[in-house]
Amino acid sequence: MIFITGPLYSGKRTFARTLPGRCITDAQQLAAGCKDNAELEKLADKLSAYDIVLSTEVGGGVVPIDPAERAARENAGRLACMLAARAKCVVQMFCGIPTVLKGELPEC
Amino acid sequence: MLTLVLGGAASGKSEYAEALVLRSALPRYYLATMQVWDAECAARVEKHRKMRAAKQFETLECPLHLETVHLPRRGTALLEDLGNLTANELYDPAGAGDAAAEHILQGLESLAAQCENLIVVSNEVFSGGADYAGDTDRYLLALARVNNALAARADAVVRVVCGIPVYYKGVEK
Repeated sequence: MIFITGPLYSGKRTFARTLPGRCITDAQQLAAGCKDNAELEKLADKLSAYDIVLSTEVGGGVVPIDPAERAARENAGRLACMLAARAKCVVQMFCGIPTVLKGELPEC
Repeated sequence: MLTLVLGGAASGKSEYAEALVLRSALPRYYLATMQVWDAECAARVEKHRKMRAAKQFETLECPLHLETVHLPRRGTALLEDLGNLTANELYDPAGAGDAAAEHILQGLESLAAQCENLIVVSNEVFSGGADYAGDTDRYLLALARVNNALAARADAVVRVVCGIPVYYKGVEK
């Protein structure tokens, strides 16, 4: 599995389209529905069956006042760590530019 | 050696910083900055305590006035984190107020002189827009001043992304 992270509108989908395989987007939204680490681990296992998983970075802003928003950010970050650990390749997008943080991209 | 470890919420920065400490000399001090206000804070403190369990850390509470901390012996210190410390110094009536950044930087200097390895965890909170005003903007500016000055002074600066360390300065040791 290739895990692609990066800020909103940083070019994750556009880049993912250049890669072969089944792709799922917005893992951060799926994380928000998990109530504990065990559920996040299960979700990470399920998502790892895809070839490409995309998640938007949401933990880089001011800590929200609303507890539910804080919890959603925590979950998104935790899930991203789990996905990165399971991935054979991790890519961080920035202004449309991919940076490989782990492993290697397949040749295509 | 002074190392600055930065990351967003739940980026894996604490786990990485602790892994760095475990490779460093004893004794190991954990400088805790969080003031416990409610159950969420208590749960966070408990989670981090569990992570440190059996790792031979001696915990020192320093939610304010870092410059007054005296480490009993030379070794490795992990300070976590500058985001909390800055909020405490800015907003606590007993804190440094508008002089928060200067006080924290002085405290970090004093701490660095007392140990072989100082590992400081800080927070990336600057990517959520630029429309903040008042107290929030004051906080962001103070924390950025501490982060940037410490990064300039540090031997290594590492940003943790989804648990993966990315070095912006220096190399992993």
